[in-house]
Amino acid sequence: MEGNIELLKGAIALVGYGLGAIGPGIGIGIVAGNAITAMARQPEMQGTIRTTMFLGIAFTEALALIGFVLFFIA
Amino acid sequence: MILATECDTANEVICAPANVNDLFEFDAWFTVGGLAFTRTTFLMLLAALIVVALLYFGLRKQRLVPSKFDAVIEGLVGFVRDDVARDIIGPDSRKYLPYLLSIFLLILVGNLFEVTPLINFPITSRMAIPLFLSLVTYFIFAIVGFGKNRFRYLIDTAWPKTVPVGLRPLVGLIELVSVFFLRPLTLAVRLFANMVAGHLMLTLLLGSGVIFLAAVGDIGARSLIGLPWLAFGLFIFVFEIVVSLLQAYIFTLLSAVYIESSIHFEH
Repeated sequence: MEGNIELLKGAIALVGYGLGAIGPGIGIGIVAGNAITAMARQPEMQGTIRTTMFLGIAFTEALALIGFVLFFIA
Repeated sequence: MILATECDTANEVICAPANVNDLFEFDAWFTVGGLAFTRTTFLMLLAALIVVALLYFGLRKQRLVPSKFDAVIEGLVGFVRDDVARDIIGPDSRKYLPYLLSIFLLILVGNLFEVTPLINFPITSRMAIPLFLSLVTYFIFAIVGFGKNRFRYLIDTAWPKTVPVGLRPLVGLIELVSVFFLRPLTLAVRLFANMVAGHLMLTLLLGSGVIFLAAVGDIGARSLIGLPWLAFGLFIFVFEIVVSLLQAYIFTLLSAVYIESSIHFEH
């Protein structure tokens, strides 16, 4: 255990992924929240808004996914 | 698989967990010319067969009043045709509908294997399958982009005309990396990561619940701690059905969006 750099590396990667997930988490919250507001205001536009919301979520989520990949690579 | 770990609950408090790869890698049944035929390969073929069978039996004859099964299949096909292909791609969508429908149904069946009793393994949690599907999408949108716009596709991506001149190198670089490298990568990783996380969660929660409850002879009333794990696992089970549907939808939707962005390439 003592002086084992491999164990430490895994722990740091885990912290890194946690930090990397903060931004996308906030971003997805904003996207979904605004989509709900838009749907409540104009229910007839629901289909378009839902599609756009998923797109926005997908692009925001990409950052968290890159963090996820780096966690495995590290 | 988690139960295969040897652990004497009477003596050991903490058991060493098995390697996580054991959950996703299976021994080869037989080998054909260097290619191992594993359980994943079999499930992959089974998924393809199920998709073909669903479409064949669902759309075989057209009735005035479709049966319940027919209505479900027609609903799925109609969903991809109207809500994904036509709404995103527009009038050209009929050309790409067969591809979008195939990947949607294949990913859907592959994802739902995760919650199918006796199978309980999402084939999309092996990177090879989502990566292959996303590379097919990548080649389709790249070929369409170069076919429709020739080399303007590459030049306008790297040197976007709608952006102020000073920012063009920076935005162009970001666009190049994002379109030709990050798009296929994130498309594959999104599906893969969701299914791996779901499979791990289900195995850990349901597995630990079952292990605790099965050890009732050794640890007595303390085995009741398995009940909350089991209950939480069953909650996640329902959640994973939603994730399976959503990920299949998002993969198809993003494929359609990428193809559309290559067809109507002026922004």
